[in-house]
Amino acid sequence: MAQEAHGALHDLLAVRGVTRRDFLKYCGSVAAMLGLSETMAPQIAAALEGAPKLMPALWLNGGSCTGCTESIAQVDTPDVATIVLDYLSFEYFETIMAAAGSWAEKNITKRAEEGGYILIYEGSVMTGQDGNTLFVGGGPENEGAKKGIEILEEAAKNAAAVIAVGSCAVDGGWIYGYPNASEATGVAAWLQHKGITTPVVSMPTCPVNPEWVVAMVVQLLLVADRDPAKFLQVTPMVKVPYTDAITGEKVTLLMPKAIYGQTIHDNCPRRGHFENGEFVTELGSKEEAMGYCLYKVGCKGPQTFTQCPVTRWNRRASWCVESGAPCIGCGGLNWVDNNSPFLKRMSDMRIGDTFVQPGTIGAAVGAVAAAGLVVHGIGMKAAGRIGDGPPMEEMKAYDRKRLAKKGGDK
Amino acid sequence: MAGHPHYREAHPLIFVITHWINLICMVMLAFSGFYIHYPFFDGFMGVARGMHFVAMYVVIINLTFRIVAAFFVKTAQDLDSREVDLDIKNWLPQEKNRHQFWETVKYYLFLRKEGVISAKYGSLQKIAYLATIPLTYLQAYTGFAIYGPSMDLGFFRAGLDLVGGPMNMRVIHYLGMWVFILFTMVHAYLANIYNFAPSKLIFLWKETVPEGKH
Repeated sequence: MAQEAHGALHDLLAVRGVTRRDFLKYCGSVAAMLGLSETMAPQIAAALEGAPKLMPALWLNGGSCTGCTESIAQVDTPDVATIVLDYLSFEYFETIMAAAGSWAEKNITKRAEEGGYILIYEGSVMTGQDGNTLFVGGGPENEGAKKGIEILEEAAKNAAAVIAVGSCAVDGGWIYGYPNASEATGVAAWLQHKGITTPVVSMPTCPVNPEWVVAMVVQLLLVADRDPAKFLQVTPMVKVPYTDAITGEKVTLLMPKAIYGQTIHDNCPRRGHFENGEFVTELGSKEEAMGYCLYKVGCKGPQTFTQCPVTRWNRRASWCVESGAPCIGCGGLNWVDNNSPFLKRMSDMRIGDTFVQPGTIGAAVGAVAAAGLVVHGIGMKAAGRIGDGPPMEEMKAYDRKRLAKKGGDK
Repeated sequence: MAGHPHYREAHPLIFVITHWINLICMVMLAFSGFYIHYPFFDGFMGVARGMHFVAMYVVIINLTFRIVAAFFVKTAQDLDSREVDLDIKNWLPQEKNRHQFWETVKYYLFLRKEGVISAKYGSLQKIAYLATIPLTYLQAYTGFAIYGPSMDLGFFRAGLDLVGGPMNMRVIHYLGMWVFILFTMVHAYLANIYNFAPSKLIFLWKETVPEGKH
């Protein structure tokens, strides 16, 4: 379909050296991700090109490494994802915005009052130390000073929807990992705990894949006609029940099904070698280069629900497993505790402050039982029970005692 | 105790067969399970997984059949008798085992010399056998909960949340196998410690009748 690119987006793309062909190809991959036919690419392009006004958005950072921002913003060449994301009007984006000081903070307050925006939240909700983290405006004695948690609550309350990007925002991520000194938790659990009913879409992985955020933005603009309520209605979601240990809340995490509906194992390019029983035993080996399966070096693909193998990373160049590294399961819940040590098949079990592999426990218990049975067998032999067994009692011990008691009464 | 006769009525042919099926399936499950846990040689994963699934379905069907059969098949209730009654009665509390639990424990800890009066299955033995029923179903549940195509179902999702995710479920499934290995070790040991007459009966369906009995 020879459709002329037009408008502001075309200029933006042209300035950044992105051709119309590149753009349509990109829209095709976004379509595939959304589960749409690739013939929808021109419509996606039209939705992006023709977007009449920018959708206001706030990007807040919680307790995190800012890796998700890095993932999305830190690109060294013009990137289509970046341009498409320009179609959200970020009125607050701490890491990359020009505004600073109270003026920047007012952007949040003003937008929160007016409503009609989406909140993208990156990072964990740190509830420890009475929430005195991510503090803005100096000490509590200053007027207008706010805790990070308060800013989240204020911004989430009036938002049309919250998108929790990255594992930290979903359930606390790596900050939640043992011993979780900052008592970090996820956005969905915290908002429910505070009685805030704004819907939360959870998008784990560490960091979040920018393509997936783009896919959700396109879904919002194209399929849902910029209406967040409709967006939640028309986007198939995986509903993951999750009990948060910090707040005690039972939440249902909503994750877009197109992205979090299948395991990495399901779509893995190394899967054939798994079935064949061809494994990498050592990183850096010939087998790794031959594309053999990374299962034995701790790949967590079989229990990690993301479609990394389809989208891939770094502008669809490659991804962990393809480049020879086992999946460390960053798209799962409580992923650090559940998946470390990363190069072992199973996570360690924690007994007090000691970490043990389940295999060690099983083998130890089995060995102790075997030794116990041998010793018991020697005892049975010594007691002369082997062969025909022991002499049998004439009467149950209980009856004997009762009879003796009766006899004593007489 | 062990010098008693081993009559076919204790284990009718149908239960000799279900026992064989259990044994074969459990060996296949443990072997393929260990392989899936950590492939200790190459070229077997597809077969190991197939074996694991087939053996699992067979063992679940076999167990369910065995439970139903207990209500219809008649077996001996006592060690030295050919007299039969409904098998299920062997699995309910029996008069002969009353007050004998601690005495049995004491016997195996060498705290008493004489053998303990019991029904065909002693109290400890019966508890151990009965415990394998929920354990087998639990293994099937934990197995399906870590199996891609089924773990998405609400029934399994709820369990995954309860234990804290698929990795923990995997660990539970793995340790569950060790419980079966322990059971099998103790079971084989206690069944054959006196002599091999019980094995002759349950595997070969051969009776052992001491002189003077029939």
